[in-house]
Amino acid sequence: MAWVGFSSPSGATPGDLFERLRRELDTLVDQFAVQQPRATSGVEPPLALYESDDAYVLTAELPGLKKEDLELSVEGPRVTLRGERRIQLPADPKLSVHRRERRAGVFRRTVELPAPVDAEKVEALYRNGVLTLRLPKQAQHRPRRIEVQTH
Amino acid sequence: MSQKPVEVAQRELEAQPKQPVARELTRSGPVFRPDVDIVEMPEEYRVYADMPGSDGEHVQIRLEDGVLSIDGALALEPGAGWVPLHREYRLGGWHREFQLSDRIAADRISAEMRDGVLEIHLPKAEAHRPRRIEVQTG
Repeated sequence: MAWVGFSSPSGATPGDLFERLRRELDTLVDQFAVQQPRATSGVEPPLALYESDDAYVLTAELPGLKKEDLELSVEGPRVTLRGERRIQLPADPKLSVHRRERRAGVFRRTVELPAPVDAEKVEALYRNGVLTLRLPKQAQHRPRRIEVQTH
Repeated sequence: MSQKPVEVAQRELEAQPKQPVARELTRSGPVFRPDVDIVEMPEEYRVYADMPGSDGEHVQIRLEDGVLSIDGALALEPGAGWVPLHREYRLGGWHREFQLSDRIAADRISAEMRDGVLEIHLPKAEAHRPRRIEVQTG
């Protein structure tokens, strides 16, 4: 097969264009892949990771957790959430359970961040059953703004 | 260790991530089905629903024609400058409905929201509470 009639104003060869297309497809596939729902054991919290200029933000859906049942640790780029979800139903001897979909149990999740963070400055907030960790990047990993000099 | 197929199927069902709800709301955006526990006691039913991200001000509970409906919206959206790198759960509201079998004393329904868990107390109407009938012996 010949690449007859295939040209580009920029002078890029079909090979270049296909390489670019392939890379773009890879990016697209990656984007969709991470948004795929993940089958969890039911008690393992689902996570989301965001990035801003100076920090990573890790969030976890952890409804009904007691603060003392959650343990967080940060080591270099590695963040670990460990804890236990307890579910206590009323202690009524005549209780009958119609549905039981919520899961109790022990969980542990570790996330490897793209770059190490400043463990001393990590902030954790637990609100409305969502844990939000703000993990400031180490200074050398922050983007720097470079002024362009003009004469 | 053996496990009954029924149990396995049940587990798979429970491990499903957030289920979208097919129902048109006035507010746009995805809506998911919260996991619930429902228990019955002689005096009342109690519903516990996991609705992380919602707070008491963003939850609506309605009882109409024996149908209990629960709606919750996100209390907080992610910060404007946050670029998502990885997401295992989708953000959105919560919705679920249940047909209740017993008469409920609608005016005495109460609910509270704590750490993303909604707890609803549904007291049974007087006439539907179990009564103990003494059998007379002669």
